[in-house]
Amino acid sequence: MNVRKALAHVCLIAASLFFIVPFIWMLSTSLKPREQIYSFPPEWIPSPVMWSNYVDAMSYIPFFTYLNNTVIITFMSTLGVILACPIVAYSFAKLRWRGRNGLFITTIAVMMIPGQVTMIPLFLLFNKLGWIGTPLPLIVPAFLGVPFFIFLLRQFFMGLPDSLMDAARIDGAGEFRIYAQIMLPLARPAVLAVGLFQFMASWTDFIGPLLYLTNESSYTLSLGLQQFQSQRGSEWGLMMAVSTMMTLPVIILFFFLQKTFIQGITFTGIKG
Amino acid sequence: MNAKKMSVTLLAVILSVAIVFAGCSNSQQSGGSTDASGKTTITFWHAMTDVTAEAVEAVIADFEAKHPDINIEPTYIANQGEGQNEKLLAAIAGGNPPDVAYFDRFEVGAWAAQGSLEELTEFAAADGINQDMYYPFAWNESSYQGKLYAVPTTTDSRLVYYNIDHFTEAGLDPNNPPSTIAELEAAAEQLTKKDGKRFERIGFIPWYGQGWLYGWGWAFGGDFYDPETNQATANDPKNVEALQWIADFAQKYNVEDIAAFTDSQGTGAMDPFLSGQLSMKVSGPWEVSAIEKFMPDLNYGVFPMPTPTGTDHTTWSGGWSVVIPKGAKNKEAAWEFLKYFGSANGQKIFSDISKDFSVIDSVNEELGFKEDPILKQFVDILPVSNNRPVMTQGSLYWNELAGAVENATRGNGTPQEILDQVTQKVNNELAKE
Amino acid sequence: MQPTESTPTLKKNKEKSNYYGLLFASPWILGLMLFYAFPLLSSVYFSFTSYSILQPGNFVGLQNYKDLMNDDLFWKSIYNTVYFAVFFVPLSIIFGIALAMVLNIKVKGMAVYRTVFFLPTLVPHIALAVLWMWLLNPGFGLVNGMLHSIGIEGPAWLGSETWSKPSLVFMSLWGIGQAIVIYLAGLADIPQDYYDASDVDGANWFQKIRTITLPLLTPVIFFNLVMGVIGAFQQFTLPYALTKGQGSPANSMTFYVMYLYDNGFKFFKMGYASAMAWILFVIIMVLTAIIFWSSKRWVHYQGK
Repeated sequence: MNVRKALAHVCLIAASLFFIVPFIWMLSTSLKPREQIYSFPPEWIPSPVMWSNYVDAMSYIPFFTYLNNTVIITFMSTLGVILACPIVAYSFAKLRWRGRNGLFITTIAVMMIPGQVTMIPLFLLFNKLGWIGTPLPLIVPAFLGVPFFIFLLRQFFMGLPDSLMDAARIDGAGEFRIYAQIMLPLARPAVLAVGLFQFMASWTDFIGPLLYLTNESSYTLSLGLQQFQSQRGSEWGLMMAVSTMMTLPVIILFFFLQKTFIQGITFTGIKG
Repeated sequence: MNAKKMSVTLLAVILSVAIVFAGCSNSQQSGGSTDASGKTTITFWHAMTDVTAEAVEAVIADFEAKHPDINIEPTYIANQGEGQNEKLLAAIAGGNPPDVAYFDRFEVGAWAAQGSLEELTEFAAADGINQDMYYPFAWNESSYQGKLYAVPTTTDSRLVYYNIDHFTEAGLDPNNPPSTIAELEAAAEQLTKKDGKRFERIGFIPWYGQGWLYGWGWAFGGDFYDPETNQATANDPKNVEALQWIADFAQKYNVEDIAAFTDSQGTGAMDPFLSGQLSMKVSGPWEVSAIEKFMPDLNYGVFPMPTPTGTDHTTWSGGWSVVIPKGAKNKEAAWEFLKYFGSANGQKIFSDISKDFSVIDSVNEELGFKEDPILKQFVDILPVSNNRPVMTQGSLYWNELAGAVENATRGNGTPQEILDQVTQKVNNELAKE
Repeated sequence: MQPTESTPTLKKNKEKSNYYGLLFASPWILGLMLFYAFPLLSSVYFSFTSYSILQPGNFVGLQNYKDLMNDDLFWKSIYNTVYFAVFFVPLSIIFGIALAMVLNIKVKGMAVYRTVFFLPTLVPHIALAVLWMWLLNPGFGLVNGMLHSIGIEGPAWLGSETWSKPSLVFMSLWGIGQAIVIYLAGLADIPQDYYDASDVDGANWFQKIRTITLPLLTPVIFFNLVMGVIGAFQQFTLPYALTKGQGSPANSMTFYVMYLYDNGFKFFKMGYASAMAWILFVIIMVLTAIIFWSSKRWVHYQGK
């Protein structure tokens, strides 16, 4: 038994190296002076440690503007998802109304359609609305619901007993209050997971900003990094510094909400 | 809670969200505006970095000093005008374009045909801007069907840069650089140092830098377009010969090893010619200012792109221009800037810093380009220089030819097959109009 | 019981329920129409026109579809995409399951390992692309550096026509943490009784995996297979960022959606790109249908 566990550790450590070494390399490169970056075979320890790479990178691209844009888009779209998806999902799961099942089946069907199919007409629609060059195309749709999230939350609400609602109804509570004060708090873990998914999707989104943000002043970090790459593609120290700063917030968030992350992913995998 | 009250609340929430959004959308205009003090702000998109960015800043500063009522807001857009114009096109389509854009001149025809640029003929006539001011090819490229759509700013030409110290070290005569293709190949071989798959130094890479097929095709005596019939002629036998030579070169040195070499290189100070890892490189006059900035001690010279016979050396010229995208909001102020940028004054400031050639001959003379031993050779070849075909599918043709070189060097089809396909594809698109 | 009273109440309740149901679902009804139904229908229409964003274009019937059939780059992009899917999806399943199984031995520090495996999935795709460009840099990258130290001269990776797609598979495998977590949950769902029973029968480790673990894991494998195939066909950000939108070298990295994007937003051939989108939809539907159909033969649900 012990031999087996030792063997397992060997495998796991080897795999861990594969997953962790690129991070260390990223960090190490981001702190290296240029001469050391272009040394072969590669060296691991930066000397001298160039904290100035971070300063240079942040001053070369308007880092804080991009960060600000990214935070706004991420926050707004996550807010939108959290406001819209649970209430719609609740309606699908717990309220009885004409056309509900038909609409739910349509929602599932829509989920299967690749985004590329609607990409072009959506671009043209936003274009007509005059939203190209603004973050609106990346925010407004979230307020009207995302099919995958609605589906997930609906499955969750289905698992909650009806008796709670019935009891509240007898007490004379209004429908909205039943949702907001009784059912929604019970769905907290699922809502949190969905919020996290949206946060990740927004934070890392590339094609959306690429399509809709024309003006440099409204760029997100993803676009900023790509812009940096096309301008100064050989300045690996600076690029690794930007990459590190872009990844760090997500990793910090992960360490705080690790359980929610894992639960959420497990949930999609098993129920999906 | 009653239903009515809730609907009202919901409606209020939706409305206020909508108002906030509408507010955002208005403050995000990319087009310029006029503020209360009567000062007009015009937006200007460009893709200039390093030295050229400094040059354009100087032009803007001088323009603003002379036009206190106009304020220019430059915005860097990555790769804009270099065959990747999706941002600009999207902005035009969205009805919210910048007032001025810096634009690769060879694409003016295609964009004008699409109706994406404002016509400038009347502005030019009113302000006495005419073709006598500029090199003829620069004016041609700025016009489409007899109407003006751009004001030309710079031009260039292409020569082969060579590292004199490398030549001496390898036992080549630096005063007598290659003139024929055979001599070029021999020199490249002598200069190359390869250790296993790794190049310590590489003599020459035909397609690196500015080694586009246009240049080699013309050097081999081929041509790319017949304006009489409006047909692309990429499969001209001479072009095929040129591509064959490039493909053979790729095979001889192993294209994947060359790719490993070029992919590890950078720009600016990390450019392999500057860092002494590449002995010869096709490039334009702008390389001179880069060398001055990053590697002032580099001992180098230039020679015309070799030809099979060693005679009839030629090159090609491109260059930039400024345009007003369709739907720009401050056309008058934008035109003032275009006019200034294209004037002898603006050109002098820009070209002095960037070392890009002006499209005005007297400016090049005044800036001493004709006396500088290196730059002189770039200017001297201009009379026999070619320009890319003025056609509506210029961008497609460019992309296809670039792809042709990639495919030929990687051995995906013979040069004849590849160029036949390019010809057919471009002619199909030309026929659709 | 007072039937005379209960009927109107019931009716009233039903109306009320209808009202709230619709009201609560109303954002999505609006969203569905605005951001899904309408674009979907117009996309069908566009695919039959020569619409380009600046010019209205004409109705051209099936011309876009016919042109696509003769478009070499279209076929090349399908080849590249299929190549990626064929290598990446099975490899991700094999490695994902293998690592999840080792983790499931419940060794010490399992949470730490799980976190380490999961971390790469948190890296934004664009940063992932930049990071791997640097790792795979032929001259100064870590991968070739390590190969060099064991006496191998590494290839040009992303600059090599042969190695560019394997490089992409390799860096995509770096991000399989999410799948690992799902497999892990699937493994945890397998009741210990089954293993205990087979211990009694004297089954060895390999037999247990073959007869218990894998069959009971098939629903999860099925889920990851479907998601993996769909994801592989929608590959965009990585190859786009790695090649600066060029698909180089020699179009070996031009993936389906990249070519679709080029046609739509670089050349503004909206009709052509819409036709491509619909072909993609059909491909994905057919593949999903095949997987679903075949699943009857190999997916085992517990308790059935």
